[in-house]
Amino acid sequence: MTRSTLALLLALPLLALSSLHFGVRFTPPAEVWRALTEGGTDQAALIVTTLRLPRTLIAVTVGAGLALSGLLMQTVTRNVLAEPGLMGVNAGGAFAAVLLVTFTGEQLMLPVMLAACGGAMLAAATVYGVARLGGGAAPLHLLLAGFVIAALLMSGTQIVLVSQERSMEELLFWLSGSFAYGELWTIVPAAAVISVIAILCLFYARSLDVLTADDATAGALGLPVAAARSTAVAGAALLAGVCVAIAGPVAFVGLAAPHVARRMGARGHAALIPLSMLAGAVLALLADILSRFVVYPTEAPVGSVLAMIGVPVLLALLRRRPRLEAA
Amino acid sequence: MTAVATEIARAPAHGRAGRLAALVLLLGAAAVTGVALGSSSMTLDRLLPALVGQGAETDRLIVWGLRAPRVLLSALAGMALALAGLLLQRATRNPLAAPTVLGISDGAALGAVGFLFLFSDSANSLTVSIYWQPVAAAVGAAVFAVLVAVLARGAGGGPVGLVLHGFALGALAKAGVTLLMIVGPVYRASQASIWLAGSVHEARWSDVVVLASLMALILPVLLILTARMDQLLVDDSSAEASGLPVRRTQALLIALAVVLTASAVSFVGAIGFVGLVAPHAARLLVGTRALPAIAASALVGAAMVVLADIVVRLAFAPLEVPTGAATALIGAPYFLFILFRTGRAHA
Repeated sequence: MTRSTLALLLALPLLALSSLHFGVRFTPPAEVWRALTEGGTDQAALIVTTLRLPRTLIAVTVGAGLALSGLLMQTVTRNVLAEPGLMGVNAGGAFAAVLLVTFTGEQLMLPVMLAACGGAMLAAATVYGVARLGGGAAPLHLLLAGFVIAALLMSGTQIVLVSQERSMEELLFWLSGSFAYGELWTIVPAAAVISVIAILCLFYARSLDVLTADDATAGALGLPVAAARSTAVAGAALLAGVCVAIAGPVAFVGLAAPHVARRMGARGHAALIPLSMLAGAVLALLADILSRFVVYPTEAPVGSVLAMIGVPVLLALLRRRPRLEAA
Repeated sequence: MTAVATEIARAPAHGRAGRLAALVLLLGAAAVTGVALGSSSMTLDRLLPALVGQGAETDRLIVWGLRAPRVLLSALAGMALALAGLLLQRATRNPLAAPTVLGISDGAALGAVGFLFLFSDSANSLTVSIYWQPVAAAVGAAVFAVLVAVLARGAGGGPVGLVLHGFALGALAKAGVTLLMIVGPVYRASQASIWLAGSVHEARWSDVVVLASLMALILPVLLILTARMDQLLVDDSSAEASGLPVRRTQALLIALAVVLTASAVSFVGAIGFVGLVAPHAARLLVGTRALPAIAASALVGAAMVVLADIVVRLAFAPLEVPTGAATALIGAPYFLFILFRTGRAHA
């Protein structure tokens, strides 16, 4: 284990702890401890147990899920710029969820999650198909196609929400995501889906490694390339959909987290998968804590904070184009 | 060079005047429809008297007080954005270039929202004149235009690389707009939509006057530059050989595009994809020569925004869905289409 991995492993519990303490008002450790162990109905305890604890766990879960989704998309497209947020997959999930909630009044988590997964899969298939049609899915064309389809789907979301006279909070949640509105129990199905897919990915880590080679090589090594690729895309879209349902279309985690894992020296999916997920959880948690302070005392949408971190990462990746197609 | 020369020669010079006249008629019809339709639609026998200042008091108020400024502002903003797109496409020789695509619109929106944030007092009223808002938008637009240009040149990647940088920095500007909106005086989704997607629903006569005067200042400069824009159609060395200071001309065109974008965005927000689609439609109609291209782009852009506004006004009445969301629904598929064509050409 390298020193940077250890740092990430330490950062996760430390950030999670500070996430329970910091906010508009600082809660002293003794009160946090009391709230967590004994519960209670006073204000401090309620803030910790009903607001800060859920958002902390949601940030960790969604961060890990989006990181894995981004990693899978990067593997399948052989493109380190691929990411559910930038490629319109999150936007597809959000649009489908907003449509469902608006037109059927559905409030239950499970149907919303299913709708988000369906929308995310449709969007992923569209982006990939559209990019293949022109330019043969070259890295930059794929990203551009994704950007534009994301813009299109977000206009759709915006039209639906504005035409329903929703509040700005709701608009911003479905356009840029937030960890603050979920309820504690919603992470149970999400965490279950994410862990199952993560375990499957670890199990098939060697196949994913082979998928990063060119098609001919992968085929010669005995991998059913087309099937493996569509399974991986479906997994990525499923992860994105689950995350969108509880946190909205959070962008840039899926781009930055695998990048961090690679920078830490991880090679091969057996190492990349856990490290990316760890990095994603840390990144999401960090962004969530920052989002409470950038426009203090109001809350910023976590998507805006992540854009401030993610865009420089994207620009740095664009500068290293010769190595763009590295796995 | 020869290919471009023959393309210019083959451009539909024939019937160009007729097509421009048709565009003028289209815009006129769209404008009249825009004034006539709305939550209280008027037939011609009510509309015409109201237009010339007669008829019922309420009709006059609706026509002159509410709808006319809205239609005029849409038309002017559409013109400004379309011309900005034309200039950017000419200056970068990149068919994908446009104010939204290159992050300039979002930069302008950041400047405008930043201005509102900095100069609003606790009662949400401005402490300085609103006429400074276009200046703030221009500063934001210029900063992002320069950033995109410098970073994209450093990274290489050709036309598609440039566009990617525009999208990435545009996302950054949009994040900034969101943050400023939250701390600033914006509460309703429809208000937020102005700055996220562009909308003309808060049009006032003062906006129309300022935007019209800005356009009146910029258009003569554009007309002086038409000869240079034609020279710029060929590659750099041929253009230099014909006596054109290429870099300086490109910088000038981009600067004008920045000013045009900022003027439009400071009044109606970042309405997307007009600057991309209108110049392409114009080229199909009147060819590549600068003078007819300018006229046709301006007319198409104006008609696009006026029509998009009519659509959102009728389809979602009485709510104010952002005009920019409607232009994106038309513009985004068109962008994908152009992207394929350039992708095929490079493949």
